[in-house]
Amino acid sequence: MSPDEAEQGTTGNGADRGCLGCPGASGAEPPRSAGATESERAELAVASGFLVSTAAAIALAVVYWSGGQTQLEGLFLATALAGLGIGFILWSKRFMPHAPVVEARHPIASSEAEVDAFREEFQQGENILTRRKLLVRSAGAAVTALGVALLFPIRSLGPRPGKGLKTTPFTAGVYIVTANNARVRPGDINLNGVLTVFPEVPQNPDAEGEDVMPANQADAATLLIRPNEPVNPVEGREGWTQNGVIAYSKICTHVGCPVGLYEADDHLLLCPCHQSTFDVLDGAEVLFGPAGRPLPQLPLGLDDEGYLVADGDFSSPTGPGFWDRDR
Amino acid sequence: MTVASEPTPTRASAPTRPRRRRRLLPLLGCVAGAAAVVVLAAPSDAAPHEGVATQSQPTDAELVAQGRTLYQTSCVSCHGDEGQGLDAPDGALRGPSLETTGEAGAFFQLSTGRMPLADPSRPPEAKEPAFSPSQIDALVAYVGSLGDGPALPDVDLASGDLSEGGELYRQSCQACHSATGAGGALSYGRAAPSLSTVTPLQIGAAMRAGPGQMPRFGTDIIDDQDLDSIARYVTYLEDPNDAGGLDLGRLGPIPEGMMAWVGGLGTLLFAAYFMGFRRANTPRVDPIPPGEEAEASTGDTNPATAATGGTTPPEPARDPTPEDPS
Amino acid sequence: MARNRLITRRVARWVDERTGSAKFARTALGKVFPDHWSFLIGEIALYSLVVLLATGVYLTFFFDPSVEEVVYQGSYGPLQGVTMSQAYRSALDISFDVRAGLVMRQMHHWAALLFLAAIVVHLMRIFFTGAFRRPRELNWMVGVTLLILAIFNGFAGYSLLDDQLSGTGLRIAYSITLSIPLAGTWLASLLFGGEFPGPDIINRLYVIHILLLPTAIVGLLVVHLGLVVRHKHTQFGGRGRTEKNVVGEPVWPRFAFKSIGLLLCTAAMNAALGGLAQINPVWLYGPYKLSNVSSASQPDWYMAWLDGALRVFPGWETRLAGYEIPGPFYAGVLLASITFALLYLWPFLEAKFTSDAVEHHLLDRPRNRPVRTSMGAATLTFYALLTLSGSTDVLATTFGLSVNVVLVACRVALIVVPPLIALTTYRLCRELQLRDEDAGLAPPERPRIRWELLRIWEWRGRRQEEQEVLARDDTGTGASTAVD
Repeated sequence: MSPDEAEQGTTGNGADRGCLGCPGASGAEPPRSAGATESERAELAVASGFLVSTAAAIALAVVYWSGGQTQLEGLFLATALAGLGIGFILWSKRFMPHAPVVEARHPIASSEAEVDAFREEFQQGENILTRRKLLVRSAGAAVTALGVALLFPIRSLGPRPGKGLKTTPFTAGVYIVTANNARVRPGDINLNGVLTVFPEVPQNPDAEGEDVMPANQADAATLLIRPNEPVNPVEGREGWTQNGVIAYSKICTHVGCPVGLYEADDHLLLCPCHQSTFDVLDGAEVLFGPAGRPLPQLPLGLDDEGYLVADGDFSSPTGPGFWDRDR
Repeated sequence: MTVASEPTPTRASAPTRPRRRRRLLPLLGCVAGAAAVVVLAAPSDAAPHEGVATQSQPTDAELVAQGRTLYQTSCVSCHGDEGQGLDAPDGALRGPSLETTGEAGAFFQLSTGRMPLADPSRPPEAKEPAFSPSQIDALVAYVGSLGDGPALPDVDLASGDLSEGGELYRQSCQACHSATGAGGALSYGRAAPSLSTVTPLQIGAAMRAGPGQMPRFGTDIIDDQDLDSIARYVTYLEDPNDAGGLDLGRLGPIPEGMMAWVGGLGTLLFAAYFMGFRRANTPRVDPIPPGEEAEASTGDTNPATAATGGTTPPEPARDPTPEDPS
Repeated sequence: MARNRLITRRVARWVDERTGSAKFARTALGKVFPDHWSFLIGEIALYSLVVLLATGVYLTFFFDPSVEEVVYQGSYGPLQGVTMSQAYRSALDISFDVRAGLVMRQMHHWAALLFLAAIVVHLMRIFFTGAFRRPRELNWMVGVTLLILAIFNGFAGYSLLDDQLSGTGLRIAYSITLSIPLAGTWLASLLFGGEFPGPDIINRLYVIHILLLPTAIVGLLVVHLGLVVRHKHTQFGGRGRTEKNVVGEPVWPRFAFKSIGLLLCTAAMNAALGGLAQINPVWLYGPYKLSNVSSASQPDWYMAWLDGALRVFPGWETRLAGYEIPGPFYAGVLLASITFALLYLWPFLEAKFTSDAVEHHLLDRPRNRPVRTSMGAATLTFYALLTLSGSTDVLATTFGLSVNVVLVACRVALIVVPPLIALTTYRLCRELQLRDEDAGLAPPERPRIRWELLRIWEWRGRRQEEQEVLARDDTGTGASTAVD
């Protein structure tokens, strides 16, 4: 229908009189030649909208055909759609009757008679059913049992939450490696330096061998930091640093974002997600923000060649809290 | 990334040293230019490259002397006459010691205009450099001679690997400067600056020196090759591939949400408003369905309007049996 | 033309003989729509969904929801040679190697933002005009469910791409699930298929995003619209408009054309945004790595209130006999539950407290229900402030403030501002009611936006003037001046 109208618009009035399909054009058009009535002008505006749309659609096809360009595609698609849409709206506003129409409302609820009839019919059937109590009960039991049995496959969706949430692959003697699987010496981290490290785990957990890699486990990421001031060790963690290098879990105790932001001059670790701030010199205590606990600390040791190893697991489970974390 | 298990490539001195000088040469004054040529002619090949404790290259004494003169007029009031740092009378730190600042730190602070500070109580901000490039060069040489701070690295974008740089950037830099280099908030009013206007050499100097709150990335963590790669990626981020159109500040979902509300929904609501808008000259029809006059007037608390409503012929009720009763 | 019409007629007749569709179609054509513009907001949401479905189907042809690691060799240079998941690679391919892929992807994302925004404004219209009252409580609940499903589907959608930002969001979602007392660890394990990141989450989200939630949304939408047809539209009061009729325009032809026009305009807006404004440039964010994070990591706007709640809630961890309820449970789970529970219950609460058990088809003007309006305004303010709190770091850097100061200010504002807004709104409603009274206006009148009322400082003087005028001619010609 619209192409017909558009054609009529072209042949009847000539569409070369400028943009009339632009939004709002119908209301505020420049003064026109004497003959044109308001109706003709409006018709022209609508037709121009459709013509602009046609042109834009052709342009869109051309752009796509010649290799595509995101901005032009969006622009021409938008123009084509908008030309058509504005044309439709103007058409309906200017050429379709807009006398209000009244529709009567009817009660939504069913009439008393209908409800009664329904109740009666239903009860008739119900009476037939309830006469066989054994059948009703056994059928109910069967449906319930089937329903419960069908819930069981949900269990396959995931393993039983185990110790993995509370422990990391770090145990005494596990090497500390970078993301590129290189072991680390304390001297590699310069003053004010920071390095993200992981526990070194065998690539194939079944066959312990030479093939090792950084653990791909979310809660094992660790930060090695060498602050330019001496740390103030938490009681019981006096020997946990090596050559001024201290290790904290990189996983925020709030909701588990990596605490990647180290402010070297003030020795603060800041979580970029929710701005929890931890004091590196003071056991990573929370200074600000929504975290409820300090970052767990990793005891550090050295092997014979001077590479950093863990001296045990973290001081507490890493990452965000959960119901039985302390159990 | 290289750790001590691998030997660090020492490309630092001979081949790359002249590059930086060439970068600065056109900017140097005649005297300093001549001095730089001397430096070019006698680079030290044997610069040890262990950690941050890299002694700066032997620099031309004239350059150092020139730098010292500048230092005595512009820096001494905060950093002390030998760069040892000064405390204010109330005991607060007035200016830190420059012993570990090194060439890299000095170059970063001076070339980005962060130093000299007008007001030592406020955090330094990037602005137009106060010194000419040749003066900066001299000051850098002088500060480098004060202690064992990091040397000014050589940054060669061409030898950097863009993808590798991106990986390293996302590992080490984006937590503060954001994935798009737009910068980000630190704690207590500090901010990691936007990287949209930095030069490659400033990137290298900042990483080696760790100015302000920035951690220091030594050669054992980020070797020179990595540094080139990161500089190349950061340079790319200054004008990245915005294939999608307007970048909206590259600040992520917040400006996008504002755009959706203001630009998108706002415009559509105006369109809807325009659609429902009735032209002033449209005759207003007040419909009163036949047979429902009585109810209609009870629904309207104002009898006057109901009366005027009767003046135009009402549209007949359209739909006596409206819906499928099923 | 004539022959065409003949064929159409025969086809229609054929269909009618087998379905009886003509009667139904006639009813549909005659359905009356009130012509107030605010009734079109819901349609904007509907048409955004149309765009979402159309672009989404196109995207599924190219997206591969696999976490298998591949080395990128596509045409985006800065990531060449980088190891990434298949999902992220296919997102890059859609953006750079599929012709018209990026414009489709961006249209899809913009349409999601617009969909949610239109739903929220639609909800505000329904709430403030009392369109949820009997008999429409059920439809209100369907609508709230649609809002929740749309939020979840939006989150699932932008989490699919496995870029750094979406991975960070998933990590937070995992931690919030984990924080639920008793069942948290189990729920998280079942949802993610194990400990985070879990091997299955992208694939599962994909099924959720393209099958489960869209089916639920479309199904509920059918119910939503079916109930609208069943109840017929509400309408604003005015001459000839009563509780027993609907005044407006019939679907055919005027309203149908306007509505199709609005569909096209909505699609055009999405196309314009999709082509001209960059959204979620995942190629700049890089592939998700567990230990990486970027500053300014925010969720899309409709989740920002949750993120804001996580930020402003203090670090309180409750201990119960050795067990723990972490802080994120309150901010991330409890707050959302209370929010949506209140939304679901609101029609019943209001009916109970106002002892209102009758049907309503005429809408309220917000001013005539000052308590509801002020409570709604306060609640909206609260969530707007939470949304603002979700962007503390960006606000701080943009305006050169301290992020700590901004956050504390948000905490204070969340407690102080909503009551103030409630009081102000209440006063404003009363003021407007008084003006109506002074002007002799009957309260139920077709509302229009009165821009001149923004000039608050003129209120007092104007009212006095009007009162003087009224006092001068005792005849009380208020009714005749009441025409808008």
